[in-house]
Parts: sequence; structure tokens; C-alpha cells
Amino acid sequence: MFCTRDSAEKRTCFIHRFKPVILSVKNKPTITLTGATGFLGSHLMASLLSGGHRIIVLGRSNKNGTLQERVSRLLKWFGIEEFAGQLKFMEIDFLKPLLGIPEADYKVLCADTEQIIHCASDTSFTERKRDIVFKSNVNSLEGILEFAVNANVKFFHYISTAYVAGANVILCKECLSSSADFLNVYEESKALAENIIAAFCQKNSIPFSIIRPSVVYGDSRTGRSLRFNALYFPIQSVKYISEIYLNDIKNNDGKKSKQFGIFIDEEGYLFLPLRIYLPEEGALNIIPVDYFVNATIMIIANASPGGIYHLTNNSYTKLEAIAVYNEHFMKIRGVEIIYGKSADNVLRNPAEELFDRFMTPYRPYLSDNRIFDRANTDLLTGNMNPPEFSYKIFEKCMEYAIRVNWGESIF
Amino acid sequence: MDEELKTAKNCRHYAMCKIDFLGSGVCDSGLEKHFVSFYPQGRMILYEALAENKVTVTEKCLEIADSCNLCGKCDYQCYFLNEMRPTKVMEALKNHVETFIKNGGKIKSTGDDIILTEIKRIVGVDWATNDEAITITYSHDLSAISDPKMPDYVVMPNTKEEIASLVKLFNKNKITYTIRGNGQNLLGFAVNEGAIIDLNRMKTIEFDEKNWLVKVGPGVAAFDLQKQAQKRGFRINAAEPAALVCANIMCSGIMSTFSTTYGINADNFIDAEFVDKNGSFFSLNDISSPNLYSYKNLQHKNSPGICVSANIRLHPFTDDESGILVPFQTLDSALAFIKNCSIRHIGLALGIVGAEYISTFLSPTKKSASEIKNVFINKLGIPYLVVVIGDKFAIRSIGEMGFPFFDQRLFRALYLGLPSLKSAKWLDLIKELSDDEPYSYLRIKSFADLLETALSPSPDLYSQEIDPDLKPFFEKLFSRDEMTDLVWLNMYRIMSTRLGRKKPFLPVLIYLPIDNGLIEELNDKFRLIAEKYQIDNDFGFITPIDNGKRCIFEYDYFYDYNDPDEIRRIRQAGTEANTLVDEYSVKTGTVKGHPYVLYQGFCRKENLLYS
Repeated sequence: MFCTRDSAEKRTCFIHRFKPVILSVKNKPTITLTGATGFLGSHLMASLLSGGHRIIVLGRSNKNGTLQERVSRLLKWFGIEEFAGQLKFMEIDFLKPLLGIPEADYKVLCADTEQIIHCASDTSFTERKRDIVFKSNVNSLEGILEFAVNANVKFFHYISTAYVAGANVILCKECLSSSADFLNVYEESKALAENIIAAFCQKNSIPFSIIRPSVVYGDSRTGRSLRFNALYFPIQSVKYISEIYLNDIKNNDGKKSKQFGIFIDEEGYLFLPLRIYLPEEGALNIIPVDYFVNATIMIIANASPGGIYHLTNNSYTKLEAIAVYNEHFMKIRGVEIIYGKSADNVLRNPAEELFDRFMTPYRPYLSDNRIFDRANTDLLTGNMNPPEFSYKIFEKCMEYAIRVNWGESIF
Repeated sequence: MDEELKTAKNCRHYAMCKIDFLGSGVCDSGLEKHFVSFYPQGRMILYEALAENKVTVTEKCLEIADSCNLCGKCDYQCYFLNEMRPTKVMEALKNHVETFIKNGGKIKSTGDDIILTEIKRIVGVDWATNDEAITITYSHDLSAISDPKMPDYVVMPNTKEEIASLVKLFNKNKITYTIRGNGQNLLGFAVNEGAIIDLNRMKTIEFDEKNWLVKVGPGVAAFDLQKQAQKRGFRINAAEPAALVCANIMCSGIMSTFSTTYGINADNFIDAEFVDKNGSFFSLNDISSPNLYSYKNLQHKNSPGICVSANIRLHPFTDDESGILVPFQTLDSALAFIKNCSIRHIGLALGIVGAEYISTFLSPTKKSASEIKNVFINKLGIPYLVVVIGDKFAIRSIGEMGFPFFDQRLFRALYLGLPSLKSAKWLDLIKELSDDEPYSYLRIKSFADLLETALSPSPDLYSQEIDPDLKPFFEKLFSRDEMTDLVWLNMYRIMSTRLGRKKPFLPVLIYLPIDNGLIEELNDKFRLIAEKYQIDNDFGFITPIDNGKRCIFEYDYFYDYNDPDEIRRIRQAGTEANTLVDEYSVKTGTVKGHPYVLYQGFCRKENLLYS
């Protein structure tokens, strides 16, 4: 079934997509979910609800509304408002005793919870935010793990990242990381969190699983997404930078553009010299969110205690391919991928300098050479693989991103 | 209410139409007749009074209406500051008078009483009046804190001897008298019954370059003095451009962002001459003169005398001075920066401004200001900016301290590209970059090129929101370098009046140490007071003084002075804010409220800050 945006079919389509997977969940346990307002958590929530699970959402209010208001908006976006009755909300604080809620409520929460999916995470890469990231991803574990013990949960599932293996590892195995060398504070905090969870769960005899997705983009069939970083950010950057020069060409006779060799060629393409330097040849490991959900649901239903699962793509995507996709999609030429360090004396045009700044945090992931072992995942998901990142998928994803103004006008 | 009356009632009474701050000229009749009534501000007040039957058509009213040649200069000035068009009020005034005469109205003639005859004998027949078309225009100041008072006479002396004679005359006849500069006092000190002595004719400026001094008469406005000083290669520490220099010292002392280096109060002058309450003269430098250098933390109700001249300090400047804007995510970090700079003597002028200030100063219209404030806070992530004026060594030092900043070129691009900034999608990316390292985009070598490409800054673009008939003037105006030069803008401060464009404002001003906790606490409390009384409010500015030991902090309350309920609330809020300052003054021993400085502006800053 083809899913059109905002159509009445959206809900039916969503349920249909996940239906076969949901059927494999036998006991429909009540799941307590953290991070339900995030990109991955919300998709998991939608799928679990559609599959008949009762879900207790743990979270907090923020400037965009109460927890319930934010989740309600998400249900609307997924087109599954009628499942709201299967949801319960608890505004909690992981850092406070009893999650910051009254004892009576805490007891009810413990009694009601059968499994926990801990998806809440701060995904910032910024070293400047080290304390905040660690507070969110590591310090908060004490509260949630204590809750897992008190609730005597049947399973604790932790959504981590494939990149906990560390920066200098070639083969990333489905086992705990002992690396001390990470690309950023996010990876570091997730690796530490995994180790804490594993040790705690083993000590307290709580069955646990760790699910490690690589870089996740929108739905491969509809292009819909709730988050537009990672894969999207370079494309958004090129689009906005190109608009600056297109505007100059249109309204100012391209006075500034000419200075930097930027022009519209005979075929109507914008020629925008953009040399992207990558440290070494490599590729990007990306999976669509629909694959993430399908695989995660399967893992949750059938996980082995202590199992670690890589949700990665055996088909890597080179930045050159994305550049070619984008050339066609945005009608922009001049993007050149160069491996190795740029010479200090290379003169860069303003667009290159700006793009370079934008890319800095993502650069290591664009030319990644890590290989991810997927034995555990393949076993549990029946060798279900994410699709190759084709132009069709790229086009759908970017069209949706532009339609919702890169997330600004989703709700 | 017709449009003209609405405009008249919204005149901000800042007296900016009395100075040529745009280089477009000043109302000819005002320059000739000097009474405020002959300037656009006076005509606005007069028209409002006529339309609301507070006064009738008098002989002077005819003269005032007739002397306006509808040249439109006031439209340029008032639109620049407040987005208002006074010319239609000038026309309405003329029409009112014409209709009155056509309908057989009787022109009111106010005869001279004995006192007025005596006054005229002292100052000349042209320079004193009891005609209500004149007196009404002196009945209130620029705030609504005090109630209007209608004076009996308005007098414009030209010499200190005339002032002395007037004082003696008024004493003898038990007539209260009040000195008025350009009526910029906020607390009713420039309005009263009895006689108003308007000093605006006394505009002498005498430079003593050998001694780095300029002697100014009490009718000289800060803008005009700065202009004359700059022509000779000097700078003065100037307050509001329309404020008269002597009156400004008298009332509160001169303060500006340059006070970081040039100081406040007695730092700004060497000597001053006064006419005392008995009509005798004294100079501050006289051994037997009253000690005006002292300071008492009490509200003074009485003036120590009439300042008839002041010897103001001149300061040098170098040809490598420029201005920069250093952005900060928090008030805390901005305070740490200005304190550090001030202690290290980096920069000539320093000041923290909030997003409200900067967006209002830069934007050509109210609508634009509100949109730009949103861009500064939510897109650029800049709730606070520190303005720094300094020579190339100071600016280089700030770079070496690791702070990214908007230099003069970037500032010009931002300023003249404001209309593009509002719709710039690429700012979303900038925000993302700032997440990693605040304002790191400013480190991009060719960011200025990119910004210029993205915003296409130009006087034409900047003027696109301006009324079409005024657009050519504004395009030409913004082609002038000084209009986007941070040094010039800080020296002349012509933008600051824009702060009252949306609504008039009441500043709460205090002196206190640069203690981040204390400032943030007071900032919060001022906000809570305003919220309690449902008054619009915002952080104003902070300027360090005395090598970073203290600072001047302004918090602003905005109100509509045509709304009686809002006036009631602003009075309550103002009183509560002052009470709060008093409490902190006692509690800390270091906080000083600005209202106490009134009439003590000649004091030594050390006595004010540390006694």
C-alpha cells in the first residue's frame, strides 16, 4: 500500500506495515518506555501500540508542552490517536529517589511494568555538553535500573548505538565495548551506559538486551521522519547555502557569486564549488526507521538474555553516491569529495568554509570503515536486512524533509 | 479619535526635534523663537490641548501655527525614532486655528501682569510670556510619573546676570521657579506652577583646547556639543543627545557606555558656575562654595542653584577606533566578560545590551523590531550582546581572549540586511553550529562575505518597510557611513530614543558591584514586579565603571501614557522597584538607587559609589 502524506490512509498504512511483525509478539506485555517523544522511541511506541501493547510512558514536560500533550501530538502524526487508551503517562525525574513521584504511584508503576525499553538519550556530540550528556545518558541509569529491580521486570531493553565500539576498531562485535577511544561524548556515554546496565542486570538477575542501531533516517517507504540531523544535515546545509547564492544571482546579478565562481550553467544547474574533505575513504552506515522498528520489535519479542544486537546496514552508502543523488535532486553541481587533509594553503570559498563547519561533528561517520558483526541480529530477525539507500529513498526522504521545513512545521 | 490627535497624544516629548541628529535640519521657527512651543514637540502638545479644549486659540497660538511652514523635517526625525508623522499634526493645528478664526472665534489675549512686565524688563519682551499656548507646552515632562502642572510664566534668559535678576525678582515676589532644559527629567522636577526658566537660549560653547576643556552654556545639548568637539578632534562623554549638558550633570550626572573609561558625575567636568538661591554667583572651584562634590543617599528635593556653565572635559580619540558586538548566551557570561575587560582596561566604551535594546535600536519599524528580537534570541541564540568601542589593540585583545564577535563590517551587514535576516532559513544551520561552540560561525574567515551575500545589505533594502514617500530620504541617510558606524552611534546615541517607540519607558537605574548573583537576583525581581502589575518590561543595559568595581544597571518598564490604568500600574511598579532598591541598598551597603542622585549629579563618583 502506498502511503501518502497526511492522508486518511496514513493510519491504516502504518498498522499494515507493522502488522506481520506485531503478530510475532505473543504475550503483549505492558511495556514501560522512556524516550517516547524522541525519534526512535516514538516510532517504537507507535508500533507497540498498534500491536496491542499497553505502554507506560515515562518522561517530562518541556517548553513544548506536558508529556501527554507531546505524545498526543505524536499519535496524531502517526495517525493512531485511537490507541491513546493503551497509554499511561508518568512525569518522572530519573535523578530523584523513586523517580521523583509519590511512593504510592511508584508502587503502582512497579506493579504494572512487565518490561522496560530504555530509549531516552541525549544525542549531542558536543564536548561542551559533556556534563549534560553524561547526566542524561549515564547518571540517570541509577534511577531506571533501581526501578527495574523494584518492578521485577521480565526484560530490560536498552537502545544504544552501533558506535560504542570505539574509534579505532575495524570489526565491531555484538559484545560489550572496552574501548577508551571514542569519536565524541555521545559514543563514550553510551558505551559506559551499556557496561553499567549489563553489570547491574547480571548482578540482579534481570534479563536484558542491548539494541545498537547505526545512523537512522526516515521511513524508507514514505520518507516521513521526525528528526532531520545526521543524513539530512549535509543536504539541508547544501540547500540553504545554494539558496543564498541563487538569491544573489536572481536579485543582485550574481555579484558575490561571480567572485567565487558560482553560477547557473547551461542546463540550469547551480554550479557551486564545494570541496568536501574526508579523512579517508569510507562510507556511511544508515538504516531507515521502519527497519529499526521492525527489527527491534522482533528482538524484543525473542531476545536472549544479555543479547546485543547490531541494527546496521551491510550495504554501505558512500558520500559520493549521496552527492550524485543530491546533484540530481537539487540541480546543484560542483560538489567534490576529496580524501585526505586539505592543504593549509588551499583557499576556500565562503560556502566551503561554512559547509566544513557544519560537517565537522558528522565527518567521521561519512567516511567510516567500521564493519558491524550482525550474527545475533540476523539470527533473531531471520536475516532481515535494511534496504540499500537508493535514489528513490533519498528523494522521498528529502522531499518530506523540505515539505515539513526540516522539522520546523511537522506539528 | 482622529489620527492627528492620536499622533499628538503619542509625542514622546524627547526633544529630539530640537537637535539636527539626522543632518536634515531643524524646524526653522524653533531655532528662531526658542520656546519649545515653536518646535514640533510643542505644536503636538498644543494641538492636543486645543483639540481637547484644555486651552483656546491665543495670540501666541496664531504665531505658533503660522510659523510652521510644513517643511516635513519633523517627519524625517520623528519617523526615524518613533515611526510617527508629526507634519499632519502641524497641518491640523493650522486648520484648527484657521477654522476657529473663520467661525468668528475670539482670539484670547493675555495681558502682562506686573510680574511679567518686570520679567520682560530683565530678559526682553520676546523672551517671557504667560500666554497659555506657550505655558501649556511646559506643563509636563516626558514621563507620566508626575502630574502635569501649568506654569504661570515661561522665561528664556540669555545670560547668567539675567538669571540672577530673575531669581531675585521671584524671591522678592514669592514666586516659585523651576529650571528647565529640554524637559527630560522623569520625575516631575522640570514642571511646576509659578515660573519656568527655559535655558535654551544660552548655547555658548567655548573651547580651551590647551587645557582639554570646553565651557558650555546651560542651553547646549549633548549632540551639538559632541559635534563641535568631534570637529576639533575631541570627544566628550555624552548622555542622551537632546539632553542639555549642564542640566544632565545637575540632575543625574552624565553616564554612557564611555563611562567605563571617562567616568561619571564629577569625572566629567573641571568646574561649573551657579546662580544660587539668592541670585548670587559661585563656582565649584571657589574655596567658599557649597560642597557639591559630596553625596548623601537621600532624595533631595531642592536644587543647589542654577548651573549657568560647566567646564567639560575633552577626551582624545585615535583613528583606529572601531566598534564590535560580542554575543553571549547568558547574562552571567556577559557580566564576566565586561568585568574582565574593565579590570584590564580593554576598550573605551563597554555595555551589555539585551535583545530588546539591540533589536529596537537597529530596526526601522516597531514590527521589524519585534521580529528581529525573535531572530536574535531564537535563531542566532543571542539574548545578550556586549558593545565594545576600542582601538585596534583593544579589539585584537578581545579576539585573543577567545571571544568571537561581530566586527564593524558584520555589524553593517546585519544592520542594513535586517529585512533579509527575518526570513533567512540558513540561520537554522547557524543555530546548529552554535550548539557545538557558541557563535563559532563568526570564526569562519569569509563569514562577512557570506553574510553580505545572504542578506544583500543596502540602504535600499533597509528602507523597504519605511513609508514610501520617506523612503528616498532614508535611503540617502543610511548611505552615510556614520549611520552604521558603531563608534559614531555610541558617541551620539541617536538610536536610544527608539527604545520608547513601542511604548514610553521608565528606566529603573542602579549602581552596584558587578556581582553576577546580585545582578541576576535584582533582574529577576524587577521582572516579577513588572509582571505583578502587568507592565511590559525588559533588561536594559549594564555598563561597568571605575575599573570594574561597580556598574550601572538599567531595567526598563514600558507603559502607555494615554492609558490611565497603565499609568496607575507603572506608578505602583516604579514605587515598588525603588523600595526594592532601598532594601538592597541597606542589605548590601553597595547598591545605590539612581533617584537619589537627582540634584547631586555634581558629586564625586567615589562619594556616590563608596560612601
